[in-house]
Amino acid sequence: MKKAKWLFFALAFMLAVSFAFASGEKEGAEKTKKEVTLTVVWHGGVCADMLLEIAKDWTAISGVKVEGALVGYGPAWHDKIASEFAARGSGFDLACWDSQSIGEFAGGGHCVLLNPYIEKSDKLKMTDWSKEMLARYGEYPDASGDIYALPINADAEGMHYRKDLFEDPMEKEGFKREYGYELNIPQTWSELRDIAEWFTRPPDLYGLGMMGGREYDYLTSVTNCLVWVFGGELWNPETNEIKGYIDSPASIDGLKFYIELMKYCPPGVETWGWDEVNTAFQTGKVAMAHNWFYFFGAMDDPEQNPYSDVTGYAILPGEVGRDGMFRREFSMGGQGIGISKYSKHVQEAWEFIEWYEMFEQQKRYGAVCQTGRQGVLDSEEWLANNDYNKLFRVAFNYTNDYWHLPEYAILLDILQEESHNAVTGKKTPEKAMADCAERQEQVLIKAGYEIKRTPKVDMPDTICPNPCGKPEIIPIVVE
Amino acid sequence: MTNLEYIKYARKEKLIKYFFLWPALIILLFLIAYPFIMLIYYSFFNFSFLRPVNTKFIGFKNYVNILTDTYTWERFIFTFKYVALAVSIQFILGILIAHLLQSEFRGREAVFTIVLMPMMLCPVVVGLFWKYMFNTEWGIMNYFVHNVLGFNQVEWLGTERNSLWATIIADTWMWTPFMILLSSAAFSSIPKYLYEAASVDRASNFFKFTNITLPLSAPILILALIFRLMDAMKQFDLVYTLTGGGPGDATQTVSFTLYKTAFQYFYTGEGSAWAFILLIIIIGLSSILIKILNYLSERNR
Amino acid sequence: MISKSGTLRRIVFIILIVIILLYTLFPLYWLFLASLKSRIDLFTIPPKFFFKPTFEHFKKLFIYTTLETGEEQQTRFLFWLTNSVITAGTGTLLAVALGTMAGYINSRMNYRGKGDFMFFVLSTRMLPPVAIIVPLYIVFARFRLADTRLGMILLYTLIGLGLATWIMKGFFDGIPTEVEEAAFVNGYTRFQAFVKILVPMVKGGIAATAGFCFIFAWNEFTFASIIATRYAMTLPPRITALMGTSGFEWGIAAASGYILIIPILVLFILIRKYILMGMTFGVLGRK
Repeated sequence: MKKAKWLFFALAFMLAVSFAFASGEKEGAEKTKKEVTLTVVWHGGVCADMLLEIAKDWTAISGVKVEGALVGYGPAWHDKIASEFAARGSGFDLACWDSQSIGEFAGGGHCVLLNPYIEKSDKLKMTDWSKEMLARYGEYPDASGDIYALPINADAEGMHYRKDLFEDPMEKEGFKREYGYELNIPQTWSELRDIAEWFTRPPDLYGLGMMGGREYDYLTSVTNCLVWVFGGELWNPETNEIKGYIDSPASIDGLKFYIELMKYCPPGVETWGWDEVNTAFQTGKVAMAHNWFYFFGAMDDPEQNPYSDVTGYAILPGEVGRDGMFRREFSMGGQGIGISKYSKHVQEAWEFIEWYEMFEQQKRYGAVCQTGRQGVLDSEEWLANNDYNKLFRVAFNYTNDYWHLPEYAILLDILQEESHNAVTGKKTPEKAMADCAERQEQVLIKAGYEIKRTPKVDMPDTICPNPCGKPEIIPIVVE
Repeated sequence: MTNLEYIKYARKEKLIKYFFLWPALIILLFLIAYPFIMLIYYSFFNFSFLRPVNTKFIGFKNYVNILTDTYTWERFIFTFKYVALAVSIQFILGILIAHLLQSEFRGREAVFTIVLMPMMLCPVVVGLFWKYMFNTEWGIMNYFVHNVLGFNQVEWLGTERNSLWATIIADTWMWTPFMILLSSAAFSSIPKYLYEAASVDRASNFFKFTNITLPLSAPILILALIFRLMDAMKQFDLVYTLTGGGPGDATQTVSFTLYKTAFQYFYTGEGSAWAFILLIIIIGLSSILIKILNYLSERNR
Repeated sequence: MISKSGTLRRIVFIILIVIILLYTLFPLYWLFLASLKSRIDLFTIPPKFFFKPTFEHFKKLFIYTTLETGEEQQTRFLFWLTNSVITAGTGTLLAVALGTMAGYINSRMNYRGKGDFMFFVLSTRMLPPVAIIVPLYIVFARFRLADTRLGMILLYTLIGLGLATWIMKGFFDGIPTEVEEAAFVNGYTRFQAFVKILVPMVKGGIAATAGFCFIFAWNEFTFASIIATRYAMTLPPRITALMGTSGFEWGIAAASGYILIIPILVLFILIRKYILMGMTFGVLGRK
């Protein structure tokens, strides 16, 4: 009897282990066959779903399967890619990362340089994308011409508003009486502020919804717009200076403006991400919303937005800074797709990307998300798809971006933290930005960058997209 | 037993000992000790897994930097505040609820299972969901506070003090069942005849609780406390999804800072140093509690 | 129980139970409602208690509607579910089995370095997963365990082992050695005594331990999301990868929260009587 018990336990143990072991063999099976499967890492969502759907056609053509390893949006997505690279693993072949992470991944030598592939290719040319696009999504270091990723999803910030409120004659009359000019799509942030104030009627309606959360890049993707339009800058890429830039009077102007705008937003905006902004607009809580073009599709969809038929879209305003010059700048977003250096199927991965970035595929993709391919962006069909595509095409000319450095994630976190401290009142804007500059410079020094000091100016904005720094307000009119 | 039988017995004992122990030991060694040693090794370098250029041996500099930074101490103080408050509330609540559930009543088993449910949910889902409930505008919490009770809307996650309490509320809701479960298992294992004997002597419920239930189950309860403390110090999923460390850096626990350093910043060397420091602290706390535990076990024998 | 103070006591007791139930249940109830609310209903002000329920969130977990053609396909939900069951289940079994044995040895026998061994076992639970994940991943990759079920099982066994060993030791400590000695007198070997007599006596402890180990392994997120990519992917990381066009899909997250909880609930319904069962000859206090 006792022997039997022993046997039973031992057997059960063996069984469990061998069963587990057997199922672990799956990895080996795939490699022996000729069939190759590519794994793509991206954050889950409509665009990733679209990519995988279109990829099925590639499987029909080439026999190479494309599977997605989708992660939740947010740090988990970046972490997964980073860990795999850190372990030099071949868990995935292709990865889509936020444009700003290009410095981190390319700088660390984890992705494949694409220039030779593009040059040899007969399907793609460098001119298929605007220089801006390529630079933003795949170039590292800045202005070197080395491309490590191709645009997979282009994005920028924009705004949408309630046409019914804006076009209502009573509102227009009242507004004109109060502020002295016509109620229209704001061309400057000051106008936006007036409109937001006008529509702030708690608790049912507020003027503006915008992001403000501590996590990821929620707050700073908005405060950066303000910093830039008031003439401030995040840093100087040539001298690596941060002090005198993020803490310049112009930058502080921008930050203080954000704090003022918070008065016209629903309470709690300092915890909002894009999800909350969308919700606020969809529940009719706000008259205007500042968010990514990515979500305009949802705004257009009557199933998600009860106000979709009265939703208008616009490009973000600019502002006149201390020096009397008008600037219009806002954040860009979106992702690029790159090939992992440690992948076992680099050639197959390239072939897939090559095919995917072609006009026909991008056209299909553009029906649902924003593509980076210039040909599609210019095409009549795409522009006529909805109300906002034509705005996107123009909007991309006004974008500015964070630091394209391997230390991006660290600098972002510091900027987020200190900006959030300023915005929640824990520190004054001046102190918060001064601390921010100090800490960020420490990060650069630690990483081995040399900081060359140049004399400080009030308005450090030197990288300004066209048109910029003009003394008169240049409205945007898009037909 | 004869001498021969005794030797055979001793040998068998030894065999059993080794057979039973070694599987556990081997798995542990392989999967934990090895990476841990790697961790300590890296903590002496300014190494980053992601950006491996410029790796230099810097000795204890990582540790010194961490320990002399004022931010570090703010984090530790916050973490201790949070852990102390949360775990004590859970400990007391858990024991009381388990005691209540000891008496036989109709539907007891159903109530027991329901009460354990919060612990069964995935921490990430719990964090996200409480975030939804704590939302200033459409959260159900403010609905009760503002619309039902008439107070001002509370910005649960918007101020430092509120977010501390919001996190404690979410954590307590989720982990009190842990205490309840272990306490129940412990209470159930106390022989009924002891209670019956006390009843005969006309002992009050309070007396029974403090003189029979608590002392006899104390070892298990302390054990539960140890585990809960360790888990709370390691707590990451909840804070991450609920507040993201905010507002500002108000709810950044030490564990969260570790995550940021090791993952967002990918300062592997510094992150390893953080991990080691955190480990030392947890070891210190646990050791004290283990000593108490051993004392109580011995006394009960 | 007929006396006045008896009824008062009863009422107080019932009130307390009700409060506890409300406190536990309300968020669960709210979560359940959220899984049935359409996106618009989720964010109304004031929050809605009555609404028209929709099952689209649950449906989306299992069925994926293609964007271009609108045809319906199955998601890989069942595959991830299977992985979760295998990795968490086997991991729990192993952890409880090994932990019970190790707990018993450490309770009854002394050996050199016992205190250290026990401490080492406990220390495996002290380190936050994030600290160790990259080195662990490297070790896994080197031994070809990355993204395999075996690797995940080993990991979950490891996580549960610390808990299991200590809790079971605690329970065994509460059983006086006379029990085994009585067994020896009756001709049992130590192993037989262990299996036939002692293990049944600590059923409550085993049940609780199994419950905990399973919960931790089933809901484990950090390791699963980094180490498993395709073949060994479990459910929790996938749940958070749900994003619709408007942003995070709260409805789907709530629905998945409930789907995830079902196996654990089933396990607990099965083992609850072991935990609650009062033993006629109790364990923790025999002299």
